[in-house]
Amino acid sequence: MSASEDMPDLLGDCVHCGFCLPTCPTYVLWGEEMDSPRGRIHLMDQHERGAPLGPEMVRHFDQCLGCMACVSSCPSGVQYDRLIETTRARVEEHHDRPLGEKALRALVFGLFPYRRRLRALRGPLRLYQRTGLDRAVRRTGLLERVSPSLAAMERLAPPLGPAPRLPERVAARGGRRATVGMLTGCVQGEFFPGVNTATARVLALEGCDVVIPRGQGCCGALSLHSGRAGEAAAFARRTIDAFRDVDVIVVNAAGCGSSMKEYGELLKDDPVWAARAAALSDRTRDLAEFLVELGPRAERHPVPATVAYHDACHLAHAQGVRSQPRALLAQIPELTVREIKDPDVCCGSAGTYNLFQPEAASELGDRKAASVRETRAELLVAANPGCSLQIATALRRQGTEMAVAHTAQVLDASLRGLGRGPLFADGS
Amino acid sequence: MTPLDALARACADVRPAEPEEGVLGVAPRFVAAPASPDEAAAVLTAAAEHGLAVVPRGGETRLDWGLPPRRCDLLIDTTRLSRVVEHAAGDLVVKAEAGVALDDLAGVLAERGQRLALDAPLPGSTVGGTLATGAAGPLRLLYGAPRDLVIGLTIVRADGRIARSGGKVVKNVAGYDLGRLFAGSYGTLGLIVDATFRLHPVPETRAFVTRTYTAPKDAHDAVQAVLHCPAYAAGLEVTSGPGAAVRVAVLLEGVADGVPARAALVAGLLGDGAIGAEPPPGWGAYPDGTTLVETSVPPGSLPELLTAVPDASLAWSASGHGHAGLPAGTTPEQAAAALAALRRVGGAVVRYAPQDVRAALDVWGPVPGIALMRRVKDQFDPQHRLSPGRFAGGI
Amino acid sequence: MIPGRRPRSDAGAPVTADPPADGVKGDGMNAPLDRLAERFAALLPPGGVITDPVRLATYECDGLTTHRASPGVVVLPESAEHVAAIVRACVEENVPYVARGSGTGLSGGALPRTDGVLIVTARMRRILEIDLPNQRAVVEPGVINLDVTRAVRANGYYFAPDPSSQQICSVGGNVAENSGGAHCLKYGFTAHHVLSCEVVTPDGDVVELGSGPGYDLLGVFVGAEGTLGITTKITVKLTRVPETVQTLLAAFPSIETGGTAVSKIIGMGVVPAAIEMMDALAIEAAEAAVNCGYPADAGAVLVVELDGPEAEVAHQFAAVERLCREAGAFEVRVAADDAERALIWKGRKSAFAAVGRISPAYLVQDGVIPRTALPEVLASIDALSAASGVRVANVFHAGDGNLHPLVLFDDAVEGAADRAEDVSGKILDLCVEHGGSITGEHGVGVDKARYMPRMFTDTDLDTMQMVRCGFDPAGLCNPGKIFPTPRLCGEVPGVRKGPHPLVAQGKAELF
Repeated sequence: MSASEDMPDLLGDCVHCGFCLPTCPTYVLWGEEMDSPRGRIHLMDQHERGAPLGPEMVRHFDQCLGCMACVSSCPSGVQYDRLIETTRARVEEHHDRPLGEKALRALVFGLFPYRRRLRALRGPLRLYQRTGLDRAVRRTGLLERVSPSLAAMERLAPPLGPAPRLPERVAARGGRRATVGMLTGCVQGEFFPGVNTATARVLALEGCDVVIPRGQGCCGALSLHSGRAGEAAAFARRTIDAFRDVDVIVVNAAGCGSSMKEYGELLKDDPVWAARAAALSDRTRDLAEFLVELGPRAERHPVPATVAYHDACHLAHAQGVRSQPRALLAQIPELTVREIKDPDVCCGSAGTYNLFQPEAASELGDRKAASVRETRAELLVAANPGCSLQIATALRRQGTEMAVAHTAQVLDASLRGLGRGPLFADGS
Repeated sequence: MTPLDALARACADVRPAEPEEGVLGVAPRFVAAPASPDEAAAVLTAAAEHGLAVVPRGGETRLDWGLPPRRCDLLIDTTRLSRVVEHAAGDLVVKAEAGVALDDLAGVLAERGQRLALDAPLPGSTVGGTLATGAAGPLRLLYGAPRDLVIGLTIVRADGRIARSGGKVVKNVAGYDLGRLFAGSYGTLGLIVDATFRLHPVPETRAFVTRTYTAPKDAHDAVQAVLHCPAYAAGLEVTSGPGAAVRVAVLLEGVADGVPARAALVAGLLGDGAIGAEPPPGWGAYPDGTTLVETSVPPGSLPELLTAVPDASLAWSASGHGHAGLPAGTTPEQAAAALAALRRVGGAVVRYAPQDVRAALDVWGPVPGIALMRRVKDQFDPQHRLSPGRFAGGI
Repeated sequence: MIPGRRPRSDAGAPVTADPPADGVKGDGMNAPLDRLAERFAALLPPGGVITDPVRLATYECDGLTTHRASPGVVVLPESAEHVAAIVRACVEENVPYVARGSGTGLSGGALPRTDGVLIVTARMRRILEIDLPNQRAVVEPGVINLDVTRAVRANGYYFAPDPSSQQICSVGGNVAENSGGAHCLKYGFTAHHVLSCEVVTPDGDVVELGSGPGYDLLGVFVGAEGTLGITTKITVKLTRVPETVQTLLAAFPSIETGGTAVSKIIGMGVVPAAIEMMDALAIEAAEAAVNCGYPADAGAVLVVELDGPEAEVAHQFAAVERLCREAGAFEVRVAADDAERALIWKGRKSAFAAVGRISPAYLVQDGVIPRTALPEVLASIDALSAASGVRVANVFHAGDGNLHPLVLFDDAVEGAADRAEDVSGKILDLCVEHGGSITGEHGVGVDKARYMPRMFTDTDLDTMQMVRCGFDPAGLCNPGKIFPTPRLCGEVPGVRKGPHPLVAQGKAELF
C-alpha cells in the first residue's frame, strides 16, 4: 500500500494528546495550533475528508521544517515523517503556487542537488560578496533569498581554491576491519570538503578501507523532504547503483543519511528497485553510529577545547542517533562537551527551509544561537552542514564568531594528535 | 405561629437565649441546638420562614473573632452535632460533624495511629468553628490549612436545604470545591454541619530544634537556611516579644531512624540550636495580648515584620502566616498605628480586640475582589441573614 | 482521526458539532462574531486573530476528541489587558467565550463554542518572576508546567503538580483543572501550590484572588474548569527538591495481589510520593510504545516512589519492598539512578497515548474510589469486561484510588463505541457506589456533565452554581461545562415576560 492509500490509517494514529507541541519549532515560535504537528495532522485530515488544498492550508504545511522532533516525542507512534512527505507530494502535484514561489523553488531545486552547478557559483559569489550584485539581478528578489545562504557557505568554507578531490579508494591503516562506502554529498562535498577528507581519514585510521564511488551524486534528500518524490526517486536509483558493491555506506551528513534510510519506503512500489532500495537503507549508517558499532581502536590524543554539541534533527529525530556522537566526543581526552538547552528544537536550517521561510528560519536560528552562547563553549560541533551554516550565521548576527566543526573533524584532530589547532580558523 | 414555636417544632433543643450569650455584645433571642443535619436543616428552614438572622456557635473559642453581627435572632449551637460519622482508617479519611471538638477527634484518630494535621491552640475548638475561621498553626508549613485538608463538606443553606460538595476521596475534581470556599467564611454563606478531612499518620517520632537570636537579621538568615535545606521541616515558628530575643523553633517529624540526623542538620544551620523532644513553651500558641492580629507575611519579609511593631508579641510560621498580639492598655490610636505598620509589611486582619479598640480599627483591611465576594454572598444568602456584618467588607 | 475511527460522541452531549468539512465557513452571517473579529484585529498584534474556517477547525477539540466544535473566532492575546478587553467585548456583544491553554484536557473542558470566541493563552508564556527567598514564582497562564520546574531546578526547586502531560500542559490549564499528577498523593494538587491568581472576571475586570482577606475565591476558582473567569498571572509555590528519591518497580502475578500491596503500604502509615499501577494490557501497550522493559508475564506492575530525607526514605523503602514481596511480587526492581527511574516512569507516563497502539480507539475514564475498595472494584471491572466482551486496560494512581480504565474498542465495528460507552458509564457507577468520584483529575468538562447527577443531588449542583451565578450571571464564561443543567441567575423579578427561552425549551430549570 502506498503512503497515500495509507493516509487514513496514519492519520488515525494521532490521539490529539499534544505531546508533540513543545518540540515543534513553529509552535514554539507562534503558539498556534495549525503550526504544530497536531494541527497539521488535523489539516491533513480535513484535506483527506475533502477540504481543498487552499493556500491557507498549504502555508502551514510549507511552514513545517520537517525536523521530525514530533516523531521522537510522540507516544502513539504517529508516523509524521510519512504524513508530511505524502502531503508535500500532494501539494506539489495539486497546488498551483504563485509565480514568485515557483521560480524560487525551480532555482533552488535546480541548483543545490548539483555539485557542478554549485561549484560554478562559487566564483561569482565571492565577487558578489566583495562588490555587491548588479541591481537588475537584485530586483528579481530571487538571489536575495538564495544568496545569503550561499554567501554564508562561502564565508564558512575554507578560503582555498577548488575542493581537493578524494581518491576512489583510501586504504585502511593498521589492519583492515571493514570496507565501507562513503557518500560525499553535494553541499558537504562542495562547501565543506574538509569534512569529507576528515571522515575518510578517521575511517581509515580506524581500520576501514574506504570506497568513494565516482558515480555518486545527490542522494535526493532535498527533493524527498520537499515533496518532489519523482525527482528524489531518480536520485535514489542513481545512489543505489553507485554503492552497489559495498556492504556498508557511511554518511556524514545527517540529512543525506536519513533520506538514504528512507529509500526502502520511497521505492517500495517500484518492482525493479524495491528490494535493492530496502537493502541499501539497511546498509546505511551515520558516521557516528558506524564508529560506535565498530568500536574504537586508534589512539585518541588530547584536544583541549570546550565544545557544544548540536543535535541535527535528521540525526537525532530521523535516525535516533543521539548518544553515539556524544560517546565519541567523550572518548577524546581533555575535550569538554557542553549540552545546548532545548536540544530537541530545530535550529531552523532544515534543508531548504531557510531558503523558503527565511523569517521563521532566522528567528529559530537566533534562538538556537542564544542557547549555544549560553554554553560558553568555544567550538560548535554538529553533524550536518546546514545546521553549522545556520547557527554560525545567527551567531554572527549576534556578534559572536564561533568556530564550527563536524564530529569527524574533531575526531580527525584527535586521532592524528594535532590538538585543537586545526579546529580553529586562526589556529589558536 | 411564633418563631419560637416554629423552631421548637423543627428541633428538640430550642430555648430563649440567656443575656450573656451575646455575640460581641449582640444578644440573640433564641438558641437552637440541632443534633443532626436534618434537624439543622429544619431549624434553618424555620429561620428562613420567619426571617431570622442566624449566627452559628461551636466551642465558643473564636466567637469573639471578627465584627459583631448586625443582627442576631438565632444562635445555632452545633455542639450536639457531635458524631464522628466515619473514620476510614485504611483510606486516611474521617468524616465528623461540625460540633466535634478537635481534641476529641484527635483521640479517636490516635487509636488508629492517625491525626488531622491541624494545630489546635484553643482547647474546645470544634471542627465547624476551625473550618469557618480557617484557623491553622505552624503545621501549616507542611500540611496546609483547613482549606487544604477538607475534602468533603455538608452545609445547610440559608433556605434550609442540605447541600454537599466534594466527597470522601482525597482526589476529586467533580464540581466546585465548596470546602475551600467555606473555609474561613465565618458562617456567612451557610451552616457547616459536617466535614470530611484527609488524615496523616501520627509520626513515629518528632524533634524540636530551637535557638534564640538578638538580631532579627540573624533569625531571618537561620529561617532561610532551614527553608532551603532538605531537612523537610513540618513546622517552623518564629516568636518574639517586647524586649525578648527572637526565637526560631523547627519541628521535624518522621521515623526514629531519620529524625535525629535531620535535627542535627537543622541544629547546625541554626548555629548550635538546642534539640528537644517536647515543644518549646508557647509553640503554636497565639501571642499574648488583648488584641490579636492575624498577619500574612512571606519569609523574605520576616526582618521587617520583626521590627514593625516594637510593642507587639509575634508568632510567625514559615508558611507565611502568623499572629501579632498587642498588650492590654494599648490605646485605639496605638492599635491603629500598629495595624498600619503591619499592613506596610504584609496582610493584617484583626481577629479580636477590646470593644473600644475594635471600634477604632479597620478590622479586615483592604479586600481585593470584594465586589465578587458580595455577589457570591448575595447568591447564598440573598436576605443577608447569615452572620450579617461579621465578615470582610461588612458581609 | 477520520470520522469512522474516532471515538464517537455521546448522542446527548451538549454543544458538539462537526466542523464544516468543505472548508466553507458555515455561519458567515454571524454579525456579532464578525464585529468582534474586527475589534480583536485592532486590539491584537498581527496574527492574533483567526477567522479562516480551515484554521479554526484545528481548534475544534482539546485532548479529548469525542467532542468537537469549531470555534467562531480564535484570539491569541499576549497580556492581561488583551484578555480583559476581549472579555469585555464578548460581554458587550453577548457572545460566549472559552479559554484554552495547550489543549491537552481530557474532558472537553476547553471545547469551543461555534457561536463564540476561543481565547488561547499560548502566547502568554513568560515566567515573570522567580523569588527563591519566598519560594515562589510568578508565571503567565500559557507557561508550560515543566518549564517552571526547568527554570528553578538548578536552584534545588520544582513545581510539584506533575500531570502526565506536564511537558506540554499549561499552568493556566492546571489552575482551571486543579491538576494533580502521579505525585499528588503526597504533595497535593494545583490548589495547594497556587498562592494567588490575577483573574479577568466575567465582567472583564482584572482582580487578584488569594491575596487578601475575605472568601477564599481562589480556592473555588482553582478547579472551576474556566467557568469563573480567566487567569492571566499565577503565583505558584515552589517545592524544595527532596534529598533523595527512590523508585521501585514491583511485578505481580495479578492486579488483585498488586492492590493488596497498595493497601498494606498505605496501612503501614507510609505516604509515598507516588504509587502507580498498570495491568497486563496497559503494560503491553507501554512496551510497544517506549520499550520500557517491564517484567514479562506480569499481571500488574506497581511503581512506588518514595522521596524525602535520606534516612526516612531508606527506612520506608525497605518496608515497601518487603510488603510487595509478601503480597506476592515475583520481581522487584530498584532504580539505581535517574536514567533507570526515568525508564520506569516512561512506561507509566506514556501509557495513555500508547494504548493507541493496541486498539484502534478507546475511552479513558477517571473514576476515584476509596483505595480500600480497590480489590473489590477491580474485580467488578474485570467481571464487567468479561460479561460485555469489551477489553479494559487499567492504569491508575493506586495510592489515592484514582482509576484510569481505558475502555478499548474498534470503531470500525458497528455498535462497538456504544458498548464501550456503556461499560465506561458502568465503571463510573461502580465508583460512585463505593463512595468515590466520577473524576479525580481530568475534570468534568462536557464529557462527564451528564454523570454529575449520579454523584450529586439537584440541590448540591444548584448550590455550586450559586458561585457561578455570583461570578458570571450572564453565563458567557465557558458555558455548558461541568453542570448538566444551567442555573438561571436570579433575574430581576417582574421585568421578564413569559418563560425564559431555556426554560421553555426544557434546557434549564428555574430554582
